[in-house]
Amino acid sequence: MSGYTVLGVMIVTIIIGSTFWKFAPKQDQTVWRSTVSLSLAMMFLMWAFTYLCQLHPLVAPRRSDMRPE
Amino acid sequence: MSESEAIFRSAEMSMIQLYIPNEIARESIYSLGSLGLVEFRDLNKNVNQFQRTFVDEIRQLDNVERQYRFLIKLMEENGITPPETLAEDYEASHKNALTTSQLDEIIANAQILEERVTQLADASETLLKKQIYLKQYQQVLSTSDRYFSSDVSKDLNELNENENNNSSDPIETPSSSSSSSNFITGVIPRDKIAILEKILWRVLRGNLLFKTFEIEKQMYDKKAKEYVNKNTFVIFSHGEMILERIRKICESLDADIYFVESDSKLRRNQQVQINDKLTDVTNVLETTNLTLQTELRVISSEIDDWIKCVKLEKSVFVTMNKCHYDLNRKCLIGEGWVPTDELLNIQTTLEDCSNQLSSNVSSNVPIIMNVVNTTKTPPTYHKTNKFTDAFQSMCDSYGIATYREVNAALPTAATFPFLFAIMFGDLGHGFIMFLAALCLVLNEKSIGRMKRDEIFDMAYSGRYILLLMGLFSMYTGFLYNDVFSISMSLFKSGWEWPSDFKEGDNIEAYKVGTYIIGLDPAWHGAENTLLFANSYKMKLSILMGFIHMSYSYMFSLVNAIHFKSMINIVGNFIPGFIFMHGIFGYLAVCIVYKWCVDWVAIDKPAPSLLNMLINMFLAPGSVDEQLYPGQATVQVFLLIAALICVPCLLLIKPLWFRHQLKQKSIALPTDDVENDDNNLLSNLDIVDDEEHEEETFGDIMIHQVIHTIEFCLNCVSHTASYLRLWALSLAHAQLSQVLWSMTIGSSFYFKGFGGSLFVFIMFGMWFVLTVCILVVMEGTSAMLHALRLHWVESMSKFFEGEGVPYTPYSFTSLLNEPAE
Repeated sequence: MSGYTVLGVMIVTIIIGSTFWKFAPKQDQTVWRSTVSLSLAMMFLMWAFTYLCQLHPLVAPRRSDMRPE
Repeated sequence: MSESEAIFRSAEMSMIQLYIPNEIARESIYSLGSLGLVEFRDLNKNVNQFQRTFVDEIRQLDNVERQYRFLIKLMEENGITPPETLAEDYEASHKNALTTSQLDEIIANAQILEERVTQLADASETLLKKQIYLKQYQQVLSTSDRYFSSDVSKDLNELNENENNNSSDPIETPSSSSSSSNFITGVIPRDKIAILEKILWRVLRGNLLFKTFEIEKQMYDKKAKEYVNKNTFVIFSHGEMILERIRKICESLDADIYFVESDSKLRRNQQVQINDKLTDVTNVLETTNLTLQTELRVISSEIDDWIKCVKLEKSVFVTMNKCHYDLNRKCLIGEGWVPTDELLNIQTTLEDCSNQLSSNVSSNVPIIMNVVNTTKTPPTYHKTNKFTDAFQSMCDSYGIATYREVNAALPTAATFPFLFAIMFGDLGHGFIMFLAALCLVLNEKSIGRMKRDEIFDMAYSGRYILLLMGLFSMYTGFLYNDVFSISMSLFKSGWEWPSDFKEGDNIEAYKVGTYIIGLDPAWHGAENTLLFANSYKMKLSILMGFIHMSYSYMFSLVNAIHFKSMINIVGNFIPGFIFMHGIFGYLAVCIVYKWCVDWVAIDKPAPSLLNMLINMFLAPGSVDEQLYPGQATVQVFLLIAALICVPCLLLIKPLWFRHQLKQKSIALPTDDVENDDNNLLSNLDIVDDEEHEEETFGDIMIHQVIHTIEFCLNCVSHTASYLRLWALSLAHAQLSQVLWSMTIGSSFYFKGFGGSLFVFIMFGMWFVLTVCILVVMEGTSAMLHALRLHWVESMSKFFEGEGVPYTPYSFTSLLNEPAE
């Protein structure tokens, strides 16, 4: 588990995106392509940022309401 | 990218001229209207509306429309609602224009109907008045009968006695007439009784006897035109003068005065007479009303079709008025914009039309259509479907795109719901929204045929926006790990709690990995959740915002390439790009870089990025806490590059224009007015409404100065503006958490039957509040913020918005537009 996961997922996303770009429905092709690739890109970015910010966190969760088992 | 889609850029338009023979002008314009692809230009701009060729026809049809409105008003009064046909259905069944004789028939029919119905309505009204008069008379008679027969009649006798005492006077009239005229009977609205009594009391100084009886049934009031409560009254007084005065007072208060015989026998006679009359009148009135109702009912089944028909025929004449009418050539010359793709379609429609119609006319009458070259700017036409339509109208309400520029609505279709979702991220709330939108989408056909009120119509037309907003909210909610503010532990947590501690100890988890998708559930309920969530969401919104703006900014490059304006690339795009990316792009890269470095492992303090950015401007060359080696040099370089870009942005474009202007003045002015041989109208004196003003150096300079200042300031303010994503998503998460803990969360402490009942009630409360406040209210506010981010932050990066919308002459839009 490291930053390379992000790169790996990015490559997968790009592959999915370009496959769809190629096989997009002929009817309203532009709309399909634009909407799907933008959505994929944003979903990837959002995940990547969430993952990255937890990769090397500077603070750790703290709580005092835990009970020992 | 296939051009015929016309969603990335607006469709290419052509100007066409049509020469339509007079005989088939109406029919061919009608068929163009049902095709709905031609936007006719007004060729008679300088001709007054009242002096145009087809004014009389329009006036006639206006009159017919007025007659139809009159009929509808009568139907409403009689409680008949005419059924409406849907515009699409009507269009499908009326493909051809009416013939002239049919049109005349409609006009004549409307006239006849109006006359007939007016007659009936008038008759019914007169009869109604008569009926009311008789009814009131009847009431007065019966009440006064009661009055006279009861003990009060003694009063009358006394009065009569008084009268008789006075009769010793020589002027005394015969007692029978005096006895009949010493009282006044009538009917008056109930709320005026008190006034009447007061006035009479004052005027006659109490010298009267006033009695009223309430009428049980409501009576029709002529003045108020509705049924009101009324009273009958009897006033005794004496003296002809005084009675006359009372009568006047009563009349001024809208009382109806009726003559009643004081003798009971005569009164009985009167009553019988009135009753007979009333029965007669009521019978006649009923028959008249029945006839009127039947007539209206018959009309009502068809009136909607007639109205639509007349509306369309009228629009044909209005369109014909826009065309040039050539008396010598006996033809109608029209000019208009059509999408270039559809030229063939229009051609075939017109040919069909002329073939079909010329069989009736002896000679063959072709319609000539030719494409005209023009320097005028065509209107903007984006071909939308049911999915893009709502996004398009969202962008159009900000501004209509310039002809052939990149359409802002296309990327909006994905970015708008996503930016909304960043603010609205909650799996549960997103799911509710998704389900609601899914309902609308699955039943769109049946809902589309329904009559919708304003708010529901808004939700219906934006159903695909709602659907995507719901879907993306579910995704972002999943990443935020929020389902109605509760977290899920689907994957292995990246944190582990120490196993050995005492209860009440403040313990800290230690890191064992990274949660694979979304926010670690270990943060849920931790004391320092907000510390972490704030940092995460703030950086997320800056990054997403910067990427959104950067993406939008690329469209200005796409536009410049499409319009082949090199100067916009060199003078606007490149300096702006370097400025924006040199400062904020650098910030974005630094954010990601800082995440990637394990600061704990290398045992260095993590630098604050905000201070870094501020110091980059205030103390260039010095770095307090190093993020990476060579940072100072990179920052100085970026700062200088950004600073150099400002004068470039300011000066390159105006200087180049000055250069161009000089060259133009050196070169011999050539008369480049191309005379198009095709254009037969060029010799006609048609005033051009568009004026092409030459831009001077001063205009361009001022424009560029404004653009530069705006761009540089906006880079800062727009980036900061995306922080609203952080603020709203945080507020949403906190609000849903509070709602949970205040309702259901707190109800779990109670036990037993009462406890479960309490949970049941609290669940209902929680659910209702979740839907009302969190989904509807918060959703609306997040939607408005997302809308702003698109209109201001994104569209200002590339959008010119100087276009004119394409409004073709089309029956569909004509029939669907709301009535005035």
